[in-house]
This record gives sequence, structure tokens and C-alpha cells, in this order.
Amino acid sequence: MRKRKFGTALTLFLAFALLLTGCAGSPGEAKTEEKERDASAEIMKADGTIRILSGSENEELEAVIDECSQATGVEIEIDYKGSVDIMRALESGAEEYDAVWPASSIWLSMGDVDHLVKHSQSISMTPVVFGIRDSLAEELGFKGKDVSVKDILAAIQGGKMSFCMTSATQSNSGASAYIGFLYALLGKQEGMTAEDLQGEQLRADITELLGGVERSSGSSDWLKDLFLKEDYDAMVNYECLIIDANRQLESEGKEPLYIVYPYDGLSIADSPLGYVDHGDSQKEEAFQAVQQYLLSKEAQSEIEATGRRISANGVSDENKEVFNEEWGVDTERILSPIQMPDADVLMEALNLYQTSFKKPSLNIYCLDFSGSMEGTGEAQLKDAMSQILLQENASRNFLQANAGEVNEVIFFDNTILDIERAADDSDEALAQLYQKVADFQIAGGTDIYNAAAQALAEASSYDLEKYTPAIILMTDGVSDYNYQTFQEAWDILGIDVPVFSITFGTADPTQLEELAEATGGRVFDGTQDLTEAFRSVKGYN
Amino acid sequence: MRKKIIGLVLLICVMAAVGGIYLLTGGSGDGKEKETGKTKPKTAVSGYVGGEKIGFLEDEEVLSILGEKYGLEVDYSKAGSLDMMTADLEGRNYLFPSSSIALEYYEELHGSPVQSEILLNTPIVLYTHKMVLDAFDSQGLITKDGDVNYIDMAKLVELIQNDTAWADIGVPELYGTVSVDTTDPARSNSGNMFAALLADVLNGGQTLTPEKVDEILPQLQTIFGKLGYMETSSSDLFSQFLRMGVGATPIAAGYESQIIEYAMLHPEEYESVRDDIVVLYPAPTVWSAHVLIALDDAGKTLIRGLQDEEVQKLAWEKHGFRTGNYEISDKELGVPGIADNITQVAQVPSYDVMRRIIDGLR
Repeated sequence: MRKRKFGTALTLFLAFALLLTGCAGSPGEAKTEEKERDASAEIMKADGTIRILSGSENEELEAVIDECSQATGVEIEIDYKGSVDIMRALESGAEEYDAVWPASSIWLSMGDVDHLVKHSQSISMTPVVFGIRDSLAEELGFKGKDVSVKDILAAIQGGKMSFCMTSATQSNSGASAYIGFLYALLGKQEGMTAEDLQGEQLRADITELLGGVERSSGSSDWLKDLFLKEDYDAMVNYECLIIDANRQLESEGKEPLYIVYPYDGLSIADSPLGYVDHGDSQKEEAFQAVQQYLLSKEAQSEIEATGRRISANGVSDENKEVFNEEWGVDTERILSPIQMPDADVLMEALNLYQTSFKKPSLNIYCLDFSGSMEGTGEAQLKDAMSQILLQENASRNFLQANAGEVNEVIFFDNTILDIERAADDSDEALAQLYQKVADFQIAGGTDIYNAAAQALAEASSYDLEKYTPAIILMTDGVSDYNYQTFQEAWDILGIDVPVFSITFGTADPTQLEELAEATGGRVFDGTQDLTEAFRSVKGYN
Repeated sequence: MRKKIIGLVLLICVMAAVGGIYLLTGGSGDGKEKETGKTKPKTAVSGYVGGEKIGFLEDEEVLSILGEKYGLEVDYSKAGSLDMMTADLEGRNYLFPSSSIALEYYEELHGSPVQSEILLNTPIVLYTHKMVLDAFDSQGLITKDGDVNYIDMAKLVELIQNDTAWADIGVPELYGTVSVDTTDPARSNSGNMFAALLADVLNGGQTLTPEKVDEILPQLQTIFGKLGYMETSSSDLFSQFLRMGVGATPIAAGYESQIIEYAMLHPEEYESVRDDIVVLYPAPTVWSAHVLIALDDAGKTLIRGLQDEEVQKLAWEKHGFRTGNYEISDKELGVPGIADNITQVAQVPSYDVMRRIIDGLR
């Protein structure tokens, strides 16, 4: 989860600056100031802070949110999560938030079991599409014609294309694409049933298809970042994020992505922003000021300029060039989305994705048993492992092991102390592995690089085509600096495995950030929200 | 010395800035305090409301009449008409569902309410787009009376039951088969009323009786089974219909009041969709009777307040609910295609029948 705060401090400063010039300036200047006030008279003002739980795709709107905060006087704090996670937060009351802003209204209405949400309104729209390397799209004959999910599946199954998508159990774009795949494989247009999901053929087909997923991610914006860092063929993502990726790709002189709208697997994210009513009317006013601002003409135009659509009837003239036709963007097409199955079927489909259909994970945990971890750090680490390895705990947070999953544990200090492996993906085997962790004793110095290099060596002994691998370093991050050891292993083994870190005790993440940056991983604070960290790591693998 | 003067100027400016900001942000707040300061403390009433009536219950004019004449301060939570009956009613003073079926459901679960009154009426209509109207017209489903469009429900049901693809009736731009998006009939009233209407149509135009439920229910299950995920609020479905275009929601079942209210409250936005959006009156249609269920004395006061002549007038003119006394033509409403009178009406089946339909569609 990423956090962002939008303050009103600048407003104070600006008002102050204006008045300063007003104090010293001519009457003429004072008039302009009045005019400005008149223009902003329609903007609702309010006090206080609102906390929004938002889909990560809205990270791109930070400039607009910042202006919103200054115009309305409302301080805005945003936490970013995948939309499916937002649904879960809403189901359990969303106590920490005054507003939710998932990618699509389905997560809002499914999550709002306690009738807490009011004033929900769509802020923008964007379809979930395939972005395919321009030359590959050309080669596959996808340019300038109607493409179906089946055509895309054929390319994937024929080994001509690999792609990345977000985790269907965490993010709206991943879930939408996944449902589109299921419909296409079933040869149905609507009305997916629970029985459909039990079909042998479907299970085999979808498992094979998801085997073509190169890298999964917990959220759409992070997927885009990952895509830009590495070299992939295609990604399933929002049209607006593909537009954003293309701007960056072209500015770096790289080949852009061509956007394909599969007619039998399209969905639209309608980005609803809704108030979560915890009975504080001041918050409600603040929320309405923020929402009204975001729906104002000026803000809507700025939002459109980021590649989001604000009307079903095409794009405004001023933002026309944002929706570049050369990238395959088609604003004339009527977006006719597939139907989302009913809530029970959808949840069953998501469960199956997590436990059976997606590529099995290959998790290599490197656990820091060095002296600095003694006490609090060690206790936190052991507790964390009980959350992920003991399946009773894991299933509570949608973290359970999937079919064929491999779990290894490397115990380290400045040496490799021991390596243990769960015999298989069964609950018992994972519980036995946990017992070994729980019984392990703290030893000497710290070398995370040595451990990560060992983990890479472990990973290289598997057929990585068949797994989504991840190295998960669990440490306080204070290590001898020995980056060379890791770099050598990375270069020699030549495999692409992200190194994620979860920090404990009095952590210093600097060294871990460096590893994450180099491998496409991320660093999480295990002392703040462990479930969140695991959910994110699991999203990636 | 100079430094000190600058310091002083700065201080003055800071004070002025703070004062200015206070004026900018505090102005409206002050006004409210003064207003409320004059009147005696109000009774707060809170309850569950179907989404389509939120615009009405947030109308400043309505709220000020309720506040000044009846001493009420109204708060609400949004819930489907049937959902609200099984929600936690602790601390609630009223329920405001959208049908008498919901009232009977309440009575079955909780016994007789303190008081209940039908306060607003509106017929079920189908919202669609110009392109779909033209296709239906060419298929002979549409009867026109001036600018009012009536759709032959028996023929529409036939298209739906035959899995007719949009492409088959000349709209290849739309993916999938002809269907009407509704709210969840087991949770929300507009979907429920549409199910009632379909039940009658499937029963050859006769009000469905208990004896025939077993014959009709499987057909309803097939029709609704094809809809997949259904919204639980009529207002959410309607705003998605308006927002996401013909591709996402070719046809949506809703209340006639919704388009009238939208045109009144959002004239500019309405203007931009006015030429594309079409109201289809199902022939026959069913009435949706919005009934207020008072759970205590405060709820009873709310019934009196909403029966106030001025409030009833606002309900029609600004929010499109037909209240009996204020029938005016669409010329005055500014929304084309609104029928002067609703004449072709089917009877909603009895509560027993509807209860079995609700359970069957859950």
C-alpha cells in the first residue's frame, strides 16, 4: 500500500503571498485578486481532513488532487490499494477511511454490506484493454481490425506472445481481464454459472493461459511501472495507463504499445468515488466539496488530459491528441463491455484463480537470524511466518498456497545457517516448515546479499517457466555491505527473480531498496501491516 | 530597524491573510449557525431510503419545509427496498422503500409498523438510447403517441427469451444478446417491480396467481440468470446508464421520476444527453408506490411532513414523482417523451406470489 498526503499549506502560503503583493501593490493588482475569487466562488469550501482508500490507478491524478485540496481547503490523505482489497476493507467497515475510490462500482456495491456508502459518483472512465508492442501487434495482424480474446489466446498459446496482468484477486483490471478470459474460453457471452467453473476443459484451458502470465502485480499502476522497467510483450491494463506508459516509452525513444479492444472481453472501469458514512457531518461536507471539485469542468478536463474518458460520447477537442490514434486508441468505438457474473459466481471464480488456476508460486523466504534480530525482530518474524505458512491463518487473508506452490526457507546470518523446503503444497507440509522456523535460534552477523545470492541459486534449480518466483527477504536490513556477491550470482545465473523485502525490528531499508530496485521487487514494512505486505508480495507472485 | 518594520508588515499581512481565509471558508458556516440559532432544536430522524429518492431527501427546499414547519432534521442511509427490511434497524426512525411489497415484507418480518403511508408514485419505465429505439421500432416493438414511446412487452420478452443477439436486430455495435439491465430483484425495488411485470407478461398478460408461479418462475430465473451481476440501487444503475453509454447499458429498467429529476437538477448535463436518451413506457407497466414506514413517533412526524402540500408539489415538479394532484404535461417539465397519463397498467401480483419470486431469484 502506498500513501500520499495532499496538504493545504500551500493555500496559506499563496494567500499570504497574494496579500503581501496586495499590501505593497497598486489598486490594479488588487482587482485581479478579486476576479480570481469570483471565478472560484462556485467551488465549495470545507475544513478538515478526509482519508480516501483508492485504486492505484489514481496515483496519476496526484496533481489534480493537490489542486483540489488547495481549492477546497480540505486536506486529503490517500492510501492506494487494489480494488478487490478495497472491497474487502469496505466489507469490514473501512473504519480508517472517509471515502473509497475503487476502479469499478462492482467492488463498491459488493463491499458495501453495511450500507455505509453515500454520494457515490463516477469520476472518470477507462476501458481495460491489451497493450501489445506495436511491431508484435502488427506481426500478429491485430492492427486496425476487430480482435477477440480468442485471437489473443491463440497468440499466447502459440508461444507468440507473453503478457503481464495484475492479480485477479486484488485488482480490478486483473479481475476484469480474467473474467473476460473465462467467458471466451467457455464460448459464452453472458450468464456464467458456478457449474461452468467446474468444467474440466475450462480448468485446463485457463490454467494453461495463465501460465503465459509473465509477471503479476497487486495493482495496475505498479504493473505499468514494472512493465516500463523490463522488457515484456504485452500487458493487460487500463487504457489510461497504457497511454501513460506510451508517453514514457516514446520519450525514451522506445517502441510504444498498440491498444487492442477485444470485443468479447472488454470491461470499463467507472472509477466511483463514494463517501463512507461514519456519522461525522463535517467529513461529509468536506467529502462533497472534494467530489464537487473533481466533477467540475476544469478538473474533469484535467482528468481527461491524463487519458481518462469523461464522457461516453468521445473525447473533447482540447484533449484529442492525448488519445493518440497511432497507438490504436479508438474513441469512436462504442465500448460494449462483457457482463460481470453475479456475486457468488464472481467470488468463486476469484477463489479458483487464487488456489488453482494461476501459475504456482515459488517462494524462497530468506529469514534473518542474525544477532541484531534478537528479541522483538525475531518474534515479529516468527509471527509473520505463522501468518503465511499456517494455512488456517493464511486463508483468512486470501494468502493460501496455490496448487503446486513451492516454499523454501533459507535461514541466514552472515552465513547460510540452514535450508528447508516444504515437502509439497499441503497444509501439513507447510505447518511442518513453520515449526522449523519457530524452533530456529538466533546466531551471528548479517549478510543479506549472501542469502539472496543463495536464494537465486535455489530458484535456478527450478523450471521457472512453470512458476512465478519470488525471493522474500525478511530482515532488519542492517547488513554488511556485500552487494558484489549478489551481483555476481545475478549475472552468472541470469534469471529474473524479484527480491521483495519485509522489514522487522529497527529496520533500515536503504540496502533493501537497492536490491528491490535492481530486481523489480519492493520493500514492505512488516511492523506496520504485515498482511498488506504479504498480500502485495503474493500479488506479485 | 528596517528588519523590524518588515517584521511588522509581515505580521499584519499574516493576520490579514488569516482573516481573509476565515472569511473565505467560514462565511457559509456562520450563516447556517444563525439560521438554526433562531429555531428551536430539531428532532433528528434517520432511516433507510431507496437510492432513487435521495435527490428528493437532499433537496434544500424540502429540508427547510421539514425543518421549519415540522422541526425535523432528516438523515438517511441508502439501501435497497428489500435489503433494508433485513438491515439493522437499531436507532432508525423510518424506512422509505419503493413498494407495498416491501411493506408487506416488513410486516412479515417485524409485524405491523407504527404507521405507513404511500407518499409518492412513479411507473416503471425502460431507459434506452436512440440507436436501440430505432432497432426496436424497425422490429415492430414500438407504438408512438406523439413523442411518447410505448414498447410491446410481450414482443420484448420474446426477443430476450430467444437469445436474440443485438447484431440480429441491426445493432452489431453492441456485444451480446438483447436484455434489460435491472437492479437485483431480490434486493431492490425497481428490479423487483420489473420482475413483477415480466411475471404478468409471461402469464399471458394476466396477473400472476399462486397456482401458476411454478410454471412462470423457471422462465424468470432464466431471464434474470443471464444478467449476471446486478446493482442493488436504482440510482446507481441509472447513473451508470447515463454515464457509461449505450455499449455498457443498452436498456435499463428504472423509475419515470429519475429522468425528470435529472433534467431538473442537472439541466446542463441533461442537455448533452437529451437527444440520445429515450424513455420507453412498457405496455403494460406497473406502478411503484413509495411508502414511508414509521418506526416511531419521529417517523410519524416525517410522514406528516412529506404529506405537506408544498413538499408534494416539489416531489413532482423537481423530482418527478407523481403525487396525484400535480399532473402537468411534459411541455412544462422540459423532458420530451413523458406521458401525460399512465393508462396501461398491470397489477403487481400478490405478496405471496412476489415472495416466492423473490426467493426464487435470490
